[in-house]
Amino acid sequence: MAPHLVQPTPPLPASAGIGLRAPHHASVLADSPDVAWFEAHSENYFADGGAHVECLSRIRERYPLSLHGVGLSLGSTDPLNAQHLARLKRAVERFAPALVSEHLSWSSVKGRFANDLLPLPYTEEALRHVSRRIAAAQDALGRQLLIENVSSYVSYRCSSLTEWEFLAGVAVESGCGILLDLNNIYVSAHNHGFACVDYLEGIPVDAVQEFHLAGHTRIDAGGESLLIDTHGAPVSDAVWDLYRHALRRFGARPTLIEWDTDIPSLEVLTAEARRADALEAALHDLAA
Amino acid sequence: MTSLHELQSRLLDALLSGSAEPADSASANVAAALPLIDAPGPAAAARLAVYRQTVHSNVAAALRSTYPAVWRLVGEDYFRKVAREFIIRHPSECGDLTPVGALFPAYLARLHDHDEYAYLADVARFEWLIQEALLCLEPPPFDLARLRLVAPAAYDALRFVLHPALRLFESRYPVRRIWESNVGAAEPESIDLAVGGERLALLQRRLQLHFHALTTGEWCWLEALAAGEPFAASVETAMASDDAFDAVAALRRFVSIGAIVDF
Repeated sequence: MAPHLVQPTPPLPASAGIGLRAPHHASVLADSPDVAWFEAHSENYFADGGAHVECLSRIRERYPLSLHGVGLSLGSTDPLNAQHLARLKRAVERFAPALVSEHLSWSSVKGRFANDLLPLPYTEEALRHVSRRIAAAQDALGRQLLIENVSSYVSYRCSSLTEWEFLAGVAVESGCGILLDLNNIYVSAHNHGFACVDYLEGIPVDAVQEFHLAGHTRIDAGGESLLIDTHGAPVSDAVWDLYRHALRRFGARPTLIEWDTDIPSLEVLTAEARRADALEAALHDLAA
Repeated sequence: MTSLHELQSRLLDALLSGSAEPADSASANVAAALPLIDAPGPAAAARLAVYRQTVHSNVAAALRSTYPAVWRLVGEDYFRKVAREFIIRHPSECGDLTPVGALFPAYLARLHDHDEYAYLADVARFEWLIQEALLCLEPPPFDLARLRLVAPAAYDALRFVLHPALRLFESRYPVRRIWESNVGAAEPESIDLAVGGERLALLQRRLQLHFHALTTGEWCWLEALAAGEPFAASVETAMASDDAFDAVAALRRFVSIGAIVDF
């Protein structure tokens, strides 16, 4: 019953995978659906044992896997949380994922956690700080991290860099790879008034190792329209267009369909993954 | 210029304090954070409120996942209200939300100290122990052949090891029945609190949860074993509170149900 160490996975295929969520554990194990790879939230598998850890061990035997963390709080000015890092390291050793990713954000200070992905101010100070922390986390884990751009609803008066300058700078300074979430770019572009294309053009091609695709919703916030990264809807047409643009600039990469609220059936998710694969194949044929 | 640390401190104070209602933009902590945000005042407040709602609903969702019976007993509206007040007093101290509800039973106990909902805290305590048990690793099965090699004279000094997913629970309310009635698909049954409580051992084995009713002697004995007492001392502890305690029968019972896994 104890989870056992597995051999390191081969690289994720440059095709569409699905975010693994607990309601789908049983059907993935029972039906072995045709999915290229799965990505799991690291923290959901931090426990010593139990059903989730057991399920992921068995799923990992059949599918390539990526671990995606939401809680390391890399941008925080607190000391790096040694206990969280140790648990992440144990999960990485236990499941031997192809990729390990975290977010370009912070969620804690003075020992208190918001458990949300809060944006950093895009300043030289924050760039140096978060780069040092990512480098330290990579040293502790003994491997490269991919860092994902977050969606955001606030920007700060003190920011002096664009988000893409900041992300590109962090990749250079820390040696991390980039997980480019195209829905997050679209959401933040709407909320802060920048052009998605400028963002993509500002990111170095070689640094990008994975894409995320997800759905968002629109709300009225104090009289202005805000896009909220709910991960609770199909990928929007505008984000599919942005994915096409990203494929042309960066080429095919492992691409994740993320869905976290009002989680639909696995069939809905596999249909979204097939759509991503078809889009990549069509662009590939055009280029050939 | 605002340092990164100061910016983070002011933002988090605004997100974790006061009410989570969007209209509550007047609190001092929110007011202190608004100038950091690159938007006119009302827009900045509305944008900050998006984060405040997310922070509070993430915690409420985590608490609901840990405490499904408490949630069903009190209903969504009251649960969200209590969750919001709880997290303001006991902010998360971890990047993983699994431990966020550790103090929730004690919080409910203070909230409903002497009213008709006093049993809620015990239901919550029961659910917390269930979550703990469900996240434990299954140890290798007890090696009885090894025990047979121990000389009888050495039994008294043996320290038996309990299964890591074993939890002891006691309440003056019929908590197991309340819990079972409120986590299934069926309509909850009406339960008379006056029927009283029981002492239980909760045990997760191979991903299945088991409940075992305990006599007073068994309860005291398992508590003594959990405290690391050697066999002879643990039997004395049990017999001090229960003349009828039968150590051999207890050992046989708790090895056979998998509650004792090593020595």
